[in-house]
Amino acid sequence: MTYLDELTEISVADVKVDLLRTAYDNDRALLNTFDPRVVLLWSVLFVIVPWLFYDTLPLAVMLAAAFVLAALSQVSKYLLALLLFGQVTNVGFFVVMVPLVGGLLRAGGYLAANAGAVVDSLVALDPAVFAESLSIVATAASRGVTTALTSQEVGIDAVGAVVPFFLKLTIISVISLAVFSAMSPQKISQGMLRLGVPRQLTFAIAYGYRMMPLLVEEYHDLVNSFRLRSKVPDEKGLLRWRYYAYLLTLSVKAFYPLIFNVAKRARVTVEAMETKGFSHSLGDPKSRELRTDGMMVRTRDVSFVFGSLLFVAALWVFL
Amino acid sequence: MSETSIVVDDLTFRYPGSDDPVLRDASVTIEPGEFTAVVGGNGSGKTTLCKTFNGLIPQFFEGRFDGRVTVAGTDTRESDVAELSRHVGYVFQDFENQLVQSTVREDVEFAPLNHGLDDYAERATRALETVGLADLDDRFIWELSGGQQHLVALASVLAMDPEFVVVDEPAAQLDPHNARKTYEQLRWLHEAHDKTVVVIEHHSEFVADYCDDMVLVSEGGVAWKAPVEEGLNRLDDLLAHDIHPPQVTGIADDLPAGSGTTPDGRYPVTVDEAAATFPAPTAGRGRPRTAADGGRGDSRTAADGGADAVRSPPGGCGEPLVELTNVEHGYPTLREGYNRVLDGLDLTFCAGERVALVGANGAGKSTLLRLITGLESPDGGTVSVLGRDTSETLPEELADDTVYIHQNPEEMFVEDTVRKDVAYYLESRGADDVDDRVDEILDHLDLENLADRDGRLLSLGQQRRASLGIGLATDPTIVLLDEPTGSLDLQSRREVTRMLGKAESRVETVLVASHDLQLVASWADRVIVMGESGVLADAPPAAVFDDPELLAGTGLRPPQVVELSDRLDVDPPALTADAMVDALTEGSS
Repeated sequence: MTYLDELTEISVADVKVDLLRTAYDNDRALLNTFDPRVVLLWSVLFVIVPWLFYDTLPLAVMLAAAFVLAALSQVSKYLLALLLFGQVTNVGFFVVMVPLVGGLLRAGGYLAANAGAVVDSLVALDPAVFAESLSIVATAASRGVTTALTSQEVGIDAVGAVVPFFLKLTIISVISLAVFSAMSPQKISQGMLRLGVPRQLTFAIAYGYRMMPLLVEEYHDLVNSFRLRSKVPDEKGLLRWRYYAYLLTLSVKAFYPLIFNVAKRARVTVEAMETKGFSHSLGDPKSRELRTDGMMVRTRDVSFVFGSLLFVAALWVFL
Repeated sequence: MSETSIVVDDLTFRYPGSDDPVLRDASVTIEPGEFTAVVGGNGSGKTTLCKTFNGLIPQFFEGRFDGRVTVAGTDTRESDVAELSRHVGYVFQDFENQLVQSTVREDVEFAPLNHGLDDYAERATRALETVGLADLDDRFIWELSGGQQHLVALASVLAMDPEFVVVDEPAAQLDPHNARKTYEQLRWLHEAHDKTVVVIEHHSEFVADYCDDMVLVSEGGVAWKAPVEEGLNRLDDLLAHDIHPPQVTGIADDLPAGSGTTPDGRYPVTVDEAAATFPAPTAGRGRPRTAADGGRGDSRTAADGGADAVRSPPGGCGEPLVELTNVEHGYPTLREGYNRVLDGLDLTFCAGERVALVGANGAGKSTLLRLITGLESPDGGTVSVLGRDTSETLPEELADDTVYIHQNPEEMFVEDTVRKDVAYYLESRGADDVDDRVDEILDHLDLENLADRDGRLLSLGQQRRASLGIGLATDPTIVLLDEPTGSLDLQSRREVTRMLGKAESRVETVLVASHDLQLVASWADRVIVMGESGVLADAPPAAVFDDPELLAGTGLRPPQVVELSDRLDVDPPALTADAMVDALTEGSS
């Protein structure tokens, strides 16, 4: 229990800081040094590229490259771990699922073939026939289990079929994580604004960055508030599942007050936005021009894009 | 004169959908070069009045608007908020939500950029230098302390270089130390940059120390505008509007007629004036306890049946309720790695104690309280509460006997009415007669009228009261209060003291983390001063307040009576106004 609590307590603070670092510590991130427009276009391009490949090897190399990029962009290790865990369990699920379904089908088939005998025994209520039908069910179960246990190969084959698909999804996820965690909110909004995205949206992104840590903190406080006023289930249940179910319920409940608090904050924010001349600026070309000034596509931006395209071309040709 | 002034002329304003006007026939003029305080009770219309200066009313809140407001000759109905804000800057009470960009510089540049001003970067640099934040300009807003955020809000306003700066209740959301720093900043803006400053303020001691004029707003109208020394002497008017005069002014009023008045026949409003005015106490009087305990001796005895005599020195009592042994604790931070807040802390809290934790921000007061709740387990050492090790007990179980009242009451409201919030704990534990007990508590804290309202929508003082109700409903043995008077709002201080008094019959120990030394002086019997290097002092209040260096080291400012005691050589220092009056009259009688 001590161990478990320490695990949950310490990691909450650690995870928070790690996520904050992912989102806010961009000074040394590689992608943040390029022109934001180039990075945005580049990321759109690389969301498409993986779908042009069908073999596992080039996709795996690409994934490795994406991870290098993520490392350079200081993506949270917890986020990456979560992502990997999700994908690996997805694949693992197929390894288990395919033989299991095979076994079930087999057992079901045997039962169906002998259904007549089973029904007879149930209708007759004769102990002798009853025993016979029991043995039928037992045989069905044992055949099912045997099939399930001997058909891993089928399962692994199935996995082989889905692996490229999951690799593609993972590559896209890792790249998007890298892009959005490496670029500062200011750069993202600047780039988008220049690419013609309406200012309301770019403002919303910057504002989201501003509020996120606050909301995380507030959410944590609210969960704690709930904990100090609730009662844990008396029986913790097997592997303390009741306790965890209780925590899960609380963490969902805490979202409601959070939403109300956010709405309340917004009241002051909209007034303040008026005084700061936000609506005034929406139709003002001068304000837009000043905001997007100073962006420049340089040689290194271009070489970054061509470098990565060359890399993909090499994969295409050689692997 | 109206060329450059703000003139409110016979203004009546109704919010849409409301029958009662918030402002009734209000008229006032703010001349350039003033440093003016707008005071008034809760709901009197102070904020509404000030929001007419920059056109938020009636441009943003479109109610029924009769009368006229002009800013530098422009009728506010004929301009817009953005344009008027170039002349009248407004720092909101809830300033945290006024900051809308992610870094300091971006936020300060935001308004000049919106107006398309080419020199936006220089403006931001100048504004940040003015408030002394130039070296923090690349910080994220959320990394800053409350005091720094307030300065950013001020800098964002200054970036537009307005002639008028309106600051809504700076002392309400800041601790006293930062509130004073903000006022110093405003004084500097007023003196060195010729800004006209208007503050909405509840706390008369700041008004006395910093402002020149004051405006009393009463029931939507402007009752009067007067120089501060004169205004703060209208004690009956002030008390009728729930504004407490400065402690020294109150003392002067209680002194025998004539002995506490300045040569021009009024009461002093600042410590300086009082020190020059009040009669000196007779030297060498043997008053060992009256000064220290005056005004609270009675309640003390009643509270714990005269257990005073058996109070043991800190660290040793029969049955400690809370015991911290060699506690280490800290947090990971974004820029500075692991930040150790508590290091090798040993403390024991016994039954019947009224403990105040004081110290600068970041000294670990709140961390200590959270460790006792069990929400966090110490990184090293042990914390035991009523004999249970907090690392091995769930916070829910510890909450059977302890209650923690958050410094931001908003985080305590999880239901949509105050009544449900108060009942939440009892219902989750399947208590009998929940309704009766909830009614009792609502009655106890005068919350009946607010019972069916959403806690989040109450005023700060009301929220504080409701959060105390939520705490009391748990019938605790140990009460942990984090900054219960965080807002320096005198009404909430009174509520807190009252609640503490009422609760004492059932509660064994109360721990209060506070910046509010006036509360500490009048309530606590054990003060723990925390600093960066751990516990700096652990002693009764009289001893702590007798050591000015100790308090100076924590950035805390003693209450006016203590400062006055020092100036008038009252030793031991008086801790309450009553004790001071006693000390001064004893000498003369």
